[in-house]
Amino acid sequence: MIRPVVGGVEGIMNAFLEPARSKIANRSPSRRGALVTQFMQDDGAPDGGEMAELIRRVAEAQDRQAYARLYSYFAPRVTAFLRKSGLPANTAEEIAQDVMLAVWRKASYFDPAQAGVSTWIFTIARNQRIDHARRLKVAAAAQALPPDDEEVAPSGEAVLLVAEREASVRAALGALSDEQAAIVRLSFFSEKAHSEIARELNLPLGTVKSRVRLALGRLRALLEGQSS
Amino acid sequence: MIRHHATDETLLRYAAGQLPAGPARVIAVHLSGCPACRARVAAFEAVGGALLQQIDPAPMSPDAFAAALRAIEDTQESPGEPSAPPATAARASAKPIEGIELPEALRDCDVGPWRWIGIGMRASTITLPEDARARLTLLRVGPGRKLPEHGHFGTEFTQVLAGSFSDGYGRYTPGDLSEMGHDVEHQPIVDGEGECICLAALEGSMRLTGFFGRLIQPFVKL
Repeated sequence: MIRPVVGGVEGIMNAFLEPARSKIANRSPSRRGALVTQFMQDDGAPDGGEMAELIRRVAEAQDRQAYARLYSYFAPRVTAFLRKSGLPANTAEEIAQDVMLAVWRKASYFDPAQAGVSTWIFTIARNQRIDHARRLKVAAAAQALPPDDEEVAPSGEAVLLVAEREASVRAALGALSDEQAAIVRLSFFSEKAHSEIARELNLPLGTVKSRVRLALGRLRALLEGQSS
Repeated sequence: MIRHHATDETLLRYAAGQLPAGPARVIAVHLSGCPACRARVAAFEAVGGALLQQIDPAPMSPDAFAAALRAIEDTQESPGEPSAPPATAARASAKPIEGIELPEALRDCDVGPWRWIGIGMRASTITLPEDARARLTLLRVGPGRKLPEHGHFGTEFTQVLAGSFSDGYGRYTPGDLSEMGHDVEHQPIVDGEGECICLAALEGSMRLTGFFGRLIQPFVKL
């Protein structure tokens, strides 16, 4: 057989994908094998275009196979991200589940002219994390961050620009020194201001600030280079 | 035209969801009028998306995916048929306050009445639904008035809503954001043409300097 059924997420996904297998059973065996392993693999990171296609299939056809692929890639990463932000493991997983449910429900709101899929899912996770913190602070249900309410018709050009931005942001992150990258990461995972980060790293505040400025300045230069 | 913008550090923390509630509201007001800062936030959100992809995945509990499937089966909304977008309908509008139209980003907040805090100076305390202890203040200062000279223990975020003021760093008109770090002392002076209304939040606490400042500090709960 293609792969033994194992425990954990993968095992359940195997079971879940059973209907999918029977549906494609009529096709040639090699094609069938290729298709199923494609769904099983977590390590083969989907690229931006592939991810946008998966979201579109969820939005237009409630495609559960596409959702399974998104889930297997993003749920463990959103969980890891939230844990790194200081949440206990079980809370991080609960919120990640909420995030993935929101991905299902809001798939039709995804706008490839505004952001890439991973960025979109990051913002959902960020807002859910803030909401969670608020629920701890106040009993009353809190509002989410004000939504981006600009209605920009998605044009092919805008989608391309977003893809370019995501690619160059990634390149810029890769070009940062380890220390700069660590400072940027700290900004995402810690609510500490840079003055506190400086104290913790035992660096002068001016040093931290200038390093942050350098790192962010590079990102900004990239962005501004694109918009001109 | 907006001449004074948020710093990269602040926009990064905003995009990361790590800015405290008060300053985050001030930034939200600034963003609503500033396409340049919105574009920078979008870039920093893309940094978040990239970090999300780079992170080592965490193990999930064995039944997590099955639970997620049950959740999507239970959900009323199917992804193909979006229901009315949330928030807009549910958002209560804050009661109006004299002298200014409240920015959209503050519509769900509770705005207190103007109270006297000094000659030609009034303040209103804004309470946020998400954090009762968050400090957000509307300041209304008469033309030509000097605000007490002060430094900060944290960063002060001031968004001009109406009128203008100047300090050693420049002139601030509606839409401008003044971000003053903890190491800065400044003395804003409202320009002569009319009163100035600002939205201010502080991360940390203010350190009023000078005789007058120390005198009024107990009353100015910024």
